[in-house]
Order: sequence, then C-alpha cells, then structure tokens
Amino acid sequence: MKKVILAGCILFPAMAGLAIAESQGQFLTGVGPVPLTAMYQQFNALFTGDWQEYGQLFTSLQGGLFPRLFLLVITVVPLAFFLHYVAIGPRSFPHDGRMIYCYNFFVRLVHWFAAISFSLLVLTGLLIIFAKLVGGGSIGLLGRNVHILSAIVFAISAVFMFLVWLKDMLPALYDLKWMIIMGGYLSKEIKPVPAGKFNAGQKMWFWLATVGGIVMSVTGYFLYTLQGNIDTIRLYAIIHNFLGAAMVAMFLVHVYMSIFAIKGALNSMFNGYKAEAELKILHSKFKY
Amino acid sequence: MGRMKFLCDIDRCIDCSGCVVACKEGNHIPVGVNRRRVITIGQGKPGEKSISVACMHCSDAPCIAVCPVDCIYQREDGIVLHSKDACIGCGYCFMACPFGAPQFPRGQVFGARGAMDKCTFCAGGPEETFSTKEQTLYGQNRIAEGKVPLCAAMCATKSLLAGDADEVADVYRERNFKRGSGSNAWGWNKAYEKK
Repeated sequence: MKKVILAGCILFPAMAGLAIAESQGQFLTGVGPVPLTAMYQQFNALFTGDWQEYGQLFTSLQGGLFPRLFLLVITVVPLAFFLHYVAIGPRSFPHDGRMIYCYNFFVRLVHWFAAISFSLLVLTGLLIIFAKLVGGGSIGLLGRNVHILSAIVFAISAVFMFLVWLKDMLPALYDLKWMIIMGGYLSKEIKPVPAGKFNAGQKMWFWLATVGGIVMSVTGYFLYTLQGNIDTIRLYAIIHNFLGAAMVAMFLVHVYMSIFAIKGALNSMFNGYKAEAELKILHSKFKY
Repeated sequence: MGRMKFLCDIDRCIDCSGCVVACKEGNHIPVGVNRRRVITIGQGKPGEKSISVACMHCSDAPCIAVCPVDCIYQREDGIVLHSKDACIGCGYCFMACPFGAPQFPRGQVFGARGAMDKCTFCAGGPEETFSTKEQTLYGQNRIAEGKVPLCAAMCATKSLLAGDADEVADVYRERNFKRGSGSNAWGWNKAYEKK
C-alpha cells in the first residue's frame, strides 16, 4: 500500500507537469495538420493584404467619385466666378496714387517658384485624372514626369513660403468678420474690409498650400515609388485625391482673385508694390 | 467559348519556381518585373505550403474600374489584357489589385515608371496576333496557337492549372477525391485523426 502511495506521489506531479506542458499553446493552434482555410488566410495576408478594407474603398472611389469630384471642381468653381464677374463685377482701384512696397524681392521669387510649379502640378494632375481625353500614352507619361519634377520644386518653395509668411498668416479675430461678409465680394458697395496684410481667404489658402502641400508631397512620394505597405499606399492615394481636389478649388479661387476679380493685383507679383487706395479698402487693418 | 482561369493546387506546389522562370524567359520580361511569383508559408516547418500567383484575370476586375485611360479590358473568354501604348503608368491598377499583379519596369531617369506590365495568360495584347510588336510588348501569344500558358505548361508537378474553368475544376475535383477530400473538412483533423 505504501509503495502505491509513494509511486502515486512521484507519478502524479510528473503527469500533471506533462499535461500542463502538452496543453501549452494548443488552445489556438489545434492538433494535426493546419487546415486549408488557415493556409489560405496566411496566403491572403501575404498577397492581398486588407483588400476588403482599403482596396475595395480605393477601387470604388477611384472608379467613381474621384473623377466626378474633380470634374465638379473644375466646372462649378469657374462657373460661380463667371456669374460673380457678370453679376457683381471686378474691383478696380486707382494705381496712380501712393504705392506701398509690400513684397520684397526674395518673397516675390519664392512666390514665383511656387506659382509656376503649382500651376504645372494642377495641370498635370488633371491630365492624369482625365488622361483618356488625350488618349493617354506618352502624353500621360510626360505629364506624370512633369508632375513629379514640379512637386520637388513646389515642396522646396512651400517650405520657404511657410517661413517668410508665417507671422502675417497667423489667424486673427477680425478674420471671422471677413468670413461672415465673404470679404465683401458679394456686394458692389465699396467699404473697408477687416483684414491685415493678408485676408482670411489668403490665410486659408496659405495653410492649405503649405501644410497641405507637405502632406501632398509625402503621400505623393509613396504613390510615385509604390514602396511600403500596400494598404498604406491605398490610403495615401485617397488622401492625395481628396486634398488635391480641395487644393485645385482654392487654386482656382486664387487665380480668379489675382487676375480677374481685382484689377491690377497681378502687378504686385512683378514689382512688389500695392496701391494705398486698394489696401485701405481690402486690407484696412494692415499697418504699413 | 469558355472562361479561362488559373488554379494553383497548393497540395502539389513544391516551390520550384519553374513557372516564374518559364514566364520570364519565354516572354522576355525585363529585370525587376515579376508577372508570376511563388510565395511559401511555414518554410522549413512541417506543413510548409507554396502557391504560385499571377494576374488572376478576375471577373469584374478592380484594375479595369480604376484605370484613368481605360487601357485594360477583358476578352470574352475572361482574359484581362491591356494596351501598353495607352498606359500612363499611374499605378492605380497596382493599388486596386488584390493580388499585386500589375508590375512596373524601373531604371529609367529618376526611376520613373514605364507602362504597366502584367500576366497576359500568354494571350499577347491588343496588337495584331503574332505581329512583332505584340511579341516585343506583351510576349508570346500561345492561346492563339492553341497552347496553355507557359507557366502551366512548365509546371513539373502539374499543380498550376490553366485553361477552361470547367475543365480545370474537373481536374481539381478528381484530385481532391483521390486524395480524400474529407481530410480537409472542418473538424476532421481533430476528431478522426489516427493516433
């Protein structure tokens, strides 16, 4: 009897230990060969990634929404401006009075680099989206290469632009008033508009172009190299398109304002001078 | 006309990469472009499995939906082909594809991507059949010659099947029947495996 108890005392802990050791990690992996479904899951992880989440989303957006969104932006925004031009008309200020030196040579140079590269980015970006209209092929390939080269130029000038204008572009309380009256552009009446050196619209454009521009550069870099996780690239493509549509819309606003809405505004891009008569109305809080 | 499909039997694939070599060599694919790839899971462990994947020539293919120049199209027999002359190399098809099939040759100025390249099911392209242009741009047109794609023809274990969907499915069903398909049914491994 004693022998049985002794043997039990030795055997029981040994077997318990063996059972615990055996059960380690078996709850999830199971016994026997790995079932086919589990193997397919592993292959899926290697090949298709999380396609249902990001691939599906990208496919449906790219196949439907994105081209329509851009078509909407480049038709509705110019149409709205055309109606504004006809109904309310452009602003015109006398340029023979006192002229104020607003932009020094360096600022103008940075703006020119940004302006030309960004215009090319918008044109070639739209060329990629609507490439079927020009038949694709070598024109599209050229467009893509120009898009990438301009992106490098723009990314560098965006950093400089951010630094030289940051102080003037910080939001102020009167920007809210400017936004409520839409900068006074919706009425023919000419009275001082609350704005500093730059108005709220210019500030929005500044933040979108510099901070948004950096986001566009980073996402665009991955779209160009196609390196990295495929789901990340899909997400970046979605961001690049949505942000791009916003930037094209603001770009059209900026172009309309500088070329058509305010007569002679373009001159300051060349010589840096703005008319005092214009500043008193459109930038009434600017202390020069 | 039937529907052309690929099927890789992972119980037979031995990761010899014969399909990859046959495709690259026979179609003169540039370096860095892999129309077909073999991927292995659990390498060196019991239950190691390999699969060979190229363009699957999907029904309702995502690449066709996203192409901004509509250069990708599907033939009546299900084979998805594209025009390299119209392609602008934007990479949208690569982002939409669940299988990573579209490939882009590199190595030009600034590493700029050229036109997309992918598996053609050895059915050439939109150019005139058996023309030199078709041969240089897209590789062989074995379907027009009445042959199966190079990869499937080369496969030593005949794990990679290509052809009419019904025939391919028949072959696979018979194989599974002979192997004892019950072993793959849910729970059988646990419940009935002989000790």
